[in-house]
Amino acid sequence: MTPRRTTVYLVVGLLFSVLVSASGNAQETSVPVKAVQLTGLKGIKDNTKGTLSVENGNLHFVHGKENSDVSVTSIQDVVTGADSRESVGKTVGIMGMAAPYGGGRVLSLFRTKIDTLTVEYRDPDGGLHGAIFTMSAGTADAIKKQLVAQGAHTTATGERTAVPSPSSTSPNKEQKQ
Amino acid sequence: MKRFPNPGIWLSMFAMLFAAGPLLARKNQSAKIKAAALQVEMIQSDEIKLPAEFQVALYENLIRQLEKQGFSHVYRDGDRNAASVADLVVLRSTVRAFKAGSEQARQVTTVSGATSITVHCQFTRPDGRSLLERDVNGKVRFFGGNLRATYDFAKKAANVTHENFSSLASE
Repeated sequence: MTPRRTTVYLVVGLLFSVLVSASGNAQETSVPVKAVQLTGLKGIKDNTKGTLSVENGNLHFVHGKENSDVSVTSIQDVVTGADSRESVGKTVGIMGMAAPYGGGRVLSLFRTKIDTLTVEYRDPDGGLHGAIFTMSAGTADAIKKQLVAQGAHTTATGERTAVPSPSSTSPNKEQKQ
Repeated sequence: MKRFPNPGIWLSMFAMLFAAGPLLARKNQSAKIKAAALQVEMIQSDEIKLPAEFQVALYENLIRQLEKQGFSHVYRDGDRNAASVADLVVLRSTVRAFKAGSEQARQVTTVSGATSITVHCQFTRPDGRSLLERDVNGKVRFFGGNLRATYDFAKKAANVTHENFSSLASE
């Protein structure tokens, strides 16, 4: 083996070890993710924007001065899903409806894919709570993995929940109230 | 010349009408089932595949709407404090039908893409004795995300509860 080849092997080995250690660190540290809390967290209003992270065994949601923690050990189920939302804001969307000849409806065609994260947890009295978050696509799985790694339970076998097709569970007989 | 009936008769008729209202209301009140507290169990969807966010949104909205209707003691699924409450009513909800619509289709066409959900609500005593069973549905036809159907269901279910059960605290 020539000294040059040995050097090349050493450099490749070093690069590989650096990459492996970097990926390992990325899994351990929790990067706060921008999220919208749709419902379910105590003390936080519905549809509140904030940041979501997993810190010191807690699911941590921060919105300005308000924050809410859910102990990972109290979480009995974590499920991720996929959805979409309008790319344009609510105000623009509503104003667009006033556009003549239904031109504003074109705006509805532009949609952004999002992830949903649903967490079921129990309070100290044993009461069941559920919290729903939405975040940008591809970020919910990382949060879920961190939660499960720190002791949260999950019943979902797959990475994502299968969203049923509209025709699969179509209610044929509906009772009117 | 047209003759009007005696004013005394008119007065007595009005008096009867005014008196009948509260009396009928009291009769309806007494027909309500007494519920010192409500315990809401987690929404079940064994037969119907329901996304987790819908299941949780149904549950959370239902609890919130029941509290808005004046039920001061609404216990969550598994809450140990509910065990010692007399006249407790347990609400079990099972999803019977679900059609996942599309917000995009609703906004573009306004006639298609409706989301609908039908839930069978069963009110029982803790020992399992059935008090009332009713199918309640939730829909979103025009505006709002798909999860808005869960809010619609929760409002209707809370109304059904309010019509049939009286919270002892509100009396």
